[in-house]
Amino acid sequence: MKKIDRRKFLKGSLAGGVVAAATGTTKKAHSAYSFEGYPDSMGVLVDLTKCVGCRTCEAACNKEQGLPAPDKPFDDMSVYDEHRHGGLKRRTSEKAYTVVNRYDIPEKGEPVYRKFQCNHCNEPACLTSCFVNAYTKTKEGAVIYDPKVCVGCRTCMIACPFYVPAYSYSSPIDPVIKKCIMCYDTRLKFGKPPACVEACPREVMTFGKREDLIKIGNQKIRTTPDRYVNHIYGEHEVGGTAWMYLSSVPFDQVGFDTKLGTQPIISYVKDFLAIVPMVLCIWPALFTGFHLLAHRKNARQQDNQTVKSKKEEGHE
Amino acid sequence: MKMSIKRKTLYGAVALLLFTCPCIPGNAADGPEMVELGSLTQYYEPVQFDHELHVGMIESNECAICHHHTLGTPVLDPVCQRCHASSGETDFVACRDCHPAKRFSAEYLAVLEEDINLFHLEKPGLQGAFHQNCLECHKEYGAPTGCQDCHVRSEKGDKFFYSGEYAPEPADNSSGH
Amino acid sequence: MNKVAGVGYVPIDTNYKENNEKWSVKEKIFLGLSPAEYFRRQAANPFNWILWVIYAVGVPVLIARFIFGLGWATHSSYDYPWGLFLSWGLFTMVPLSASGFMMGTTVELFGRKDFKPIERLGLLNGLLGYFFAVVFLQVDLGQPWRLIYPMFVSLGPAAVLFLVAWHVATYLSVQIAELVPAFSEWMGLPRAKKFIKSIVLGLTVAGIILSTLHQGALGALFTYAPGKLHPLWFSAEFMWIHFLTSAIFGGLSMLIVVSTLSKWFLSWRCDENFLGSLDKLTLGIAKGASLALITYLVIKAIAVAHDNEWGYLLTGWGQYFTFEIVVGTIVPLILFTYAVRNQNAGVARFAAFITVLGIALNRMNTALVAYNWKLYQEIPHWREFVIALMLYATYVVVYRAILVRMPILYTWKSDTTS
Repeated sequence: MKKIDRRKFLKGSLAGGVVAAATGTTKKAHSAYSFEGYPDSMGVLVDLTKCVGCRTCEAACNKEQGLPAPDKPFDDMSVYDEHRHGGLKRRTSEKAYTVVNRYDIPEKGEPVYRKFQCNHCNEPACLTSCFVNAYTKTKEGAVIYDPKVCVGCRTCMIACPFYVPAYSYSSPIDPVIKKCIMCYDTRLKFGKPPACVEACPREVMTFGKREDLIKIGNQKIRTTPDRYVNHIYGEHEVGGTAWMYLSSVPFDQVGFDTKLGTQPIISYVKDFLAIVPMVLCIWPALFTGFHLLAHRKNARQQDNQTVKSKKEEGHE
Repeated sequence: MKMSIKRKTLYGAVALLLFTCPCIPGNAADGPEMVELGSLTQYYEPVQFDHELHVGMIESNECAICHHHTLGTPVLDPVCQRCHASSGETDFVACRDCHPAKRFSAEYLAVLEEDINLFHLEKPGLQGAFHQNCLECHKEYGAPTGCQDCHVRSEKGDKFFYSGEYAPEPADNSSGH
Repeated sequence: MNKVAGVGYVPIDTNYKENNEKWSVKEKIFLGLSPAEYFRRQAANPFNWILWVIYAVGVPVLIARFIFGLGWATHSSYDYPWGLFLSWGLFTMVPLSASGFMMGTTVELFGRKDFKPIERLGLLNGLLGYFFAVVFLQVDLGQPWRLIYPMFVSLGPAAVLFLVAWHVATYLSVQIAELVPAFSEWMGLPRAKKFIKSIVLGLTVAGIILSTLHQGALGALFTYAPGKLHPLWFSAEFMWIHFLTSAIFGGLSMLIVVSTLSKWFLSWRCDENFLGSLDKLTLGIAKGASLALITYLVIKAIAVAHDNEWGYLLTGWGQYFTFEIVVGTIVPLILFTYAVRNQNAGVARFAAFITVLGIALNRMNTALVAYNWKLYQEIPHWREFVIALMLYATYVVVYRAILVRMPILYTWKSDTTS
């Protein structure tokens, strides 16, 4: 057994070594730079263990953001049994910037509810992918969006690792991205918590400075270790998010993608971005050089001929 | 329907009260009979909380279930006991005295920030305190847990929830996918 | 052999008629016929009947897309923001149009004058492919009237798409400039041609830079979706190289395909210079394509090894990936090699057809099939197919219209004499 394992290991490391040598890049190259977020930026800590799925947050969001009427009343719990394309649970849409889903965990006696919305990343993928700079990460921590410059390419929707931005496809004249802006315009800017946070009867969400929330989260885990899994989702995911979560069950069981890694999305794009200036600087010289090389033979022949003809002229 | 659940609870509680009657201690009588909880109401009518009824459901020295250490009765949670095993009675015992109505206002967050030795970072606001405390117990003992089992929703609330007369027309499934 | 379609049109290739009278612009446009005669002949062409059917269905659907919005016309959703318009129109059309910079480089930069007869076809294939990629993009954008925003109104220079936008725009103008000589000959404006000749090296080098970056950038766009695109297709390090190298053999293969179609259906418009050297040139291009193919295969394998994704090859996704690689690259590579070894242009043409389909398969897989592999697979709306087909038909119509008029497949006579 051990022999095979070791051989496998050796083989693997050899192959890895060859590849690493051939390409000269390692994963560490990514971590050279990262933005930890503005120092006093705010955030929200969502304690899933407290949510009872009353959907008051959804109603509060709808009211605060002036969204159109929902398809079903906000006190209608049958939405938890809805499934959309691919058997997936509800998601954010142009009519709902936040959504609560129910997860039935067999080992647990009661269901777990999970609220989600834009997580307001420290280094937002949507922001870095936008070619008209429509997104802004404010110093308060919100990721806001300017619909007036949006061209509608929808790259931000491709880039968002949480599948958050929605698009008003139904509008032919003015389709724009629709997503949670942490109530920036009406509340956060004035030091007030987002509407959903304030409306939640169970205070599932704690609003405060992001760094304080991490302390609170850790204290909760420490003082009641059997209530929580030992992880604050969003503390490090994709470079850290302003919205973070505590859960009593492993996060992948309640709809979180636990394979996103800790690098912000832009770090995957940097390999390409790094070659841009290189190509811009080196290519002109390189290819003009090729041109000269390719034509040197011709040029020399011509030179020789002219020299020859001159000599002949001289002889005559 | 809802009323009947309420009434059932009431009967049950009264029965419980009768059986445990001799055990009712003197200090429980110090508390109020009824408390109106309405300082935060927005979408619901104020709740008439029957304090006496709930007191009747517990042992005389179990005030800490709701009042933590503030009444001087022994705290039950071993984590709390570390500091509050004998911290004694406090001057204020009402929920709102400790749990702020505006838990996330900039002013209160500044107060929290200033006190670098503050231990109870996660202390909930008033609304959170009510619903976390009440609802957990209600769940545990099979008492009603629906929003409108305790609250009477106002018209403003119906509008807020798009419910009742404000319920949306049953829509076709047009909202993308 | 297929002169039937061209019978009756006058293959104008000089500014003067035999009786020394100058061809008017109108006559040039109507291929030496009276307008009535021209349209009568157009109506008699069965290929045009197919086009009319496509337009009869496609135009109303396209108009309705702008009236009722993307939600009506496409299956674009919150999970699948990009559908057929981009996966086909942008991600497939652009690599198939890399022939422009490849031919420019071969002829102007490396001085391979023997490729001259096919250079302009390569340039035109590039220009039209890019132009229609932009058309497809315009149909897909939510607010197409804001297309210039990333250029002048609100700039997001750190975004990959910003680079794509700027480079495609710049490269379009470079390609237009590169084709000015053909236009100037046809219109009888020699001065424009002279000017372009003086800056052709600059244009070519600009073409290489812009192509390297935006072909790569199209791949890099998917590096924004590391968790969404299947790991076998995704590679943070190599994505842009995959797209660039595959664009090289994609563009070259598309050039072989287009030259073959021209030979078959527009032989009346080709001159001896083109037809006579085409087999040799096809094999030369095939050689280049096979070199790019083997490079691509090696880098593809390195990418799988680099992220240690061998395990995925055993899954259903892995089988599909293997299918794409085998059919889209290994089979054409073998065929191309055989063709070059045995000097068999027919096999090279067949290989080029497969390669073009292979590129389409790869780009569709990247943008649609393997995207959201953890969620579900989306099938584009039938209206997307209708609009895409109509736009592609327009591409063919414009392509054909230029080929039968301007000196692309033939050499302008006055040019050779002067």
